[in-house]
Amino acid sequence: MLNLMRLEMKKYKLGSYIKGAVLANIVIAVTFVAMLFISHAESELVFNNYTEALATIDAIIRAIFIIFAATLISKLIIVEFKSKTINTLFLYPINRKKLIAAKLVIVILFTFVSIIFSNVFVTAVFSVVTDYFVLLPGTLTAAIITQHASAVLMNAIATAGICLIPLYFGMKKYSVPATIISSILIVLVVSSNSGSFSLNDIIVIPITLAIIGVSIAYFSIRNIDKTDLK
Amino acid sequence: MTYLVQTNRLTKVYGGKEVVSEVSMHVKKGEIYGFLGSNGAGKTTIMKLITNLIKPTSGHIEIFGETLTPKSYEVLKRIGTIIEYPIFYEKLTAQEILSLHCEYMGYYDKKEINQVLELVNLSHTEGKSVEDFSLGMKQRLGIARAIITKPELLILDEPINGLDPSGIKEIRDLLKMLCKAYGITIIISSHILGEMERIADTIGVIHNGRLISELSMDEVNLKHIDYIEMVVDDGKKAAFILENKLAIPNFKLVGESCIRIYETKLTQKVISKALIEHDVEIKEISMKTSSLEDYFLKLISGGEVNA
Repeated sequence: MLNLMRLEMKKYKLGSYIKGAVLANIVIAVTFVAMLFISHAESELVFNNYTEALATIDAIIRAIFIIFAATLISKLIIVEFKSKTINTLFLYPINRKKLIAAKLVIVILFTFVSIIFSNVFVTAVFSVVTDYFVLLPGTLTAAIITQHASAVLMNAIATAGICLIPLYFGMKKYSVPATIISSILIVLVVSSNSGSFSLNDIIVIPITLAIIGVSIAYFSIRNIDKTDLK
Repeated sequence: MTYLVQTNRLTKVYGGKEVVSEVSMHVKKGEIYGFLGSNGAGKTTIMKLITNLIKPTSGHIEIFGETLTPKSYEVLKRIGTIIEYPIFYEKLTAQEILSLHCEYMGYYDKKEINQVLELVNLSHTEGKSVEDFSLGMKQRLGIARAIITKPELLILDEPINGLDPSGIKEIRDLLKMLCKAYGITIIISSHILGEMERIADTIGVIHNGRLISELSMDEVNLKHIDYIEMVVDDGKKAAFILENKLAIPNFKLVGESCIRIYETKLTQKVISKALIEHDVEIKEISMKTSSLEDYFLKLISGGEVNA
């Protein structure tokens, strides 16, 4: 399985995605810091406290990596079917389920790890800058951080499942646009934020979506042995 | 007789239409089996069925003595393929593609890569990604990929498509060499009849999804002594004799003096004797063998009438 994942990454030169993720991180951090400075200069607070700011950082990171995951799904799975390279893959003496599972695991792991790392990185930059320039009222206590960390972890796990939902729409007609657009719609649901309220805070919603995502992945490989490849 | 690949009443239905119907084909070990058929006859579908890319609606396939099931993965290790057209991950170079292929196939002799590229004349493409390859080059790379692991069975769908005449000859010689030197069994499809005639040991003719004929090339050559052609001094008189005295129903007068006799049980000797007795001078008499092309076209038009 690990070997199959290694071959997939080699085949698609997925290193470029890691570079992309790093770049996304820098952009988020810079945007956030800039936003804080501007709001500070205008004396108009964007965030009332640290808890709110950290939750927003997490929501934005999850949004970005759900869309990232959709591009990965497109590249690793949808385009393989569309351009028929999947025929080449399925002519290898390897269980088809394993081949597809390797791809899905890459997507899941990439999403999960990216979300955790990005949260750590952006939060760190954000805290250091805000603390140094005193841009937010209140202090960043250890309690806030631990509480936030567990929320980030739970959200990252849920998002790793949620990010598979676009697979369903993409596989219908092997369409890349359908995959990406459905991921954007999902982002609108889970990362929307009206005031301090977000749909993602109703714990049932992310959990249900994650279960849907994992089921979609499961059903997409369940019958792959019997599927005809035209 | 044991066969390397054997199908039994293989049928595939797509959307209510039989694209392959009741095909029972037999491929002997170590031979080159040529699939002949017009576009859309079902050649590719049969090849996909044999390689498990699609599953039969009914009937079954036996390959290396084992019945193919949806979970027969191991068997694929022993098969090299080009199905439909050579498909690659276009961003990679020829070397990368072959190296990946070997890893997936579980074949670790990486030295082979350069040798095989040389064999198909692609060793000059280093650093060039496959998306910049011409059709002929892709076809060569497809062949390289199919043969690199030295499989026991090669399944090549239209492998000479897009090759120039010298390329066709190279590939033909290469395939014959593989078959002779390594005992590799090859199933090859093409609609280029002349090429099939040169390369195949056995010909299977597919038409409208049916295998309408399966003959060894020797049999094709033997079987089709199609007609006796005679050049006589008086065609009309000869025709009269053939029809009335010898009761031959099926002949044709071509021009003034040339007569073609089809499907007769009478020997040349009897016919010429009868003609001479009736004062018809025979200037020339010969048996004409039709080529594979004639044979193929005749089969196909026959098939159309039955369909």
